[in-house]
Amino acid sequence: MTVRVAATGITPFGKRSEGLLDLLDAAGSEALAGGGRRPIDLLVVGSMLAGSVGGVENLVPQLADRLGVDVAQGVRADAGSASGAAAFHVGAWAVQSGRAQRALVVAGEKMTSAATPMLSEALARSLAPSEVATGATMPGLAALVAQRYAARFGEEAVAACDAIAAAFRTNASRNPNAQFRSAVSPADVAASRPVAPPLRLLHCAANADGAVAALLERDRGPVTVEGLGQGVDAIALADRLDLTGFRATRLAAQRAYEAARTTRKSLRVAEIHDAFAPFALIDLEDLGFCGPGEGPAYFASGAGASDGVLPLNPSGGVLGRGHPVGASGLAGIVEVCRQIAGEAGPTALPGRPNLGLAQSIGGLGSHVIVTILGAAEADG
Amino acid sequence: MTETRVDVLRCGACHVAFVPPRSRCPRCGSAELTEGTVPAHGEVLAATELAFPPPGFPAPHRLVLVELEEGVRVLATSPAAHARGSAVHVTREGATFRATS
Repeated sequence: MTVRVAATGITPFGKRSEGLLDLLDAAGSEALAGGGRRPIDLLVVGSMLAGSVGGVENLVPQLADRLGVDVAQGVRADAGSASGAAAFHVGAWAVQSGRAQRALVVAGEKMTSAATPMLSEALARSLAPSEVATGATMPGLAALVAQRYAARFGEEAVAACDAIAAAFRTNASRNPNAQFRSAVSPADVAASRPVAPPLRLLHCAANADGAVAALLERDRGPVTVEGLGQGVDAIALADRLDLTGFRATRLAAQRAYEAARTTRKSLRVAEIHDAFAPFALIDLEDLGFCGPGEGPAYFASGAGASDGVLPLNPSGGVLGRGHPVGASGLAGIVEVCRQIAGEAGPTALPGRPNLGLAQSIGGLGSHVIVTILGAAEADG
Repeated sequence: MTETRVDVLRCGACHVAFVPPRSRCPRCGSAELTEGTVPAHGEVLAATELAFPPPGFPAPHRLVLVELEEGVRVLATSPAAHARGSAVHVTREGATFRATS
């Protein structure tokens, strides 16, 4: 028995006029149109800010009502900025265990109609209370991590971040659903306004509206769920053993590779969590694509280019797509699915991958979710 | 008067010292904790300035990650910029810390 992704859906990301339920409905309906408008055994909704910013609670029946199909069971998943990936894992666990034959996973966020101070406060709830009391924000803490990385491995890491942001923006320019359709150069990134040194505006993902969906079925669909892994680490940065990497990613990746009975060498595409450009460097190391401190050199080698050995973020990643926080984790998964299924359209890689990895970070690396997907041999 | 020590908790099981206080050791989960102190000075591990501080914190808002003795780390605010590696003194300020040269 294999867990398969039978169909997917995604809305354009950015400043949208639609409300949260409209967005969730659009993505969910696209997945149902592709996979068949039949009853759903399990509806999993992923969102971090649905209530506090999006203005909607009790999402399972709210969305079921809009979708217009029978839903037997449901639950909402939250893992901060990894909520979309968490929702996918819940759906996959249910199909794997036999609890559901058909699980529809929909993740979304409505952020752009909120005032910045209110949004900043809502996002900071992912941090430790002691950090909130210190006036910390996610970009502020990400900047401290970037500084420790540069202190340990060299200041050239900052220039590598400029190149990474530019590369993923270039990828996004090919993605009709991405918030950012214009490419930027590394010099543009380096000249953008400071947010929290060394982070500048173009190193940081932008808040966005958007929704994504995936229909999971038993033995039916072009993409297989090969391995799932998660890791949870200390919530406060000051309590972490390692300040230049995310232990939660290493745990999640190890568990996913083991479940998939594979290694990073077999991967042919990866969507990594780059809400801040330095996280991309750290992700490469934590996922085992290269060793500690080798992120800049690995990236500079071209290994992550669309014609490289392991193409990275063909969708543009979080930086290029925009960051509807609870949806991003599912967006990376769906991009990997579409690449494997040959349905990526304008972002399609020159060589169709048969194995891919999607990684999503919740909070400041306190909860990381890794998903490995493969190509189905034939329908069971 | 300048405080010269910071209150910490020490874990009887794994011997790590930490702040702020909580009911279990953040490293090993043991509840075998005793009160202690460490000197209130340490090294700046990283420091940044937020161009977009959260509501209630006027710009410029500086965050400093400081390492005290025994590996105890605190996140602090600061009225001035500090270079990585420089020495600072920390004092408790409500629910958080303040770092000064």
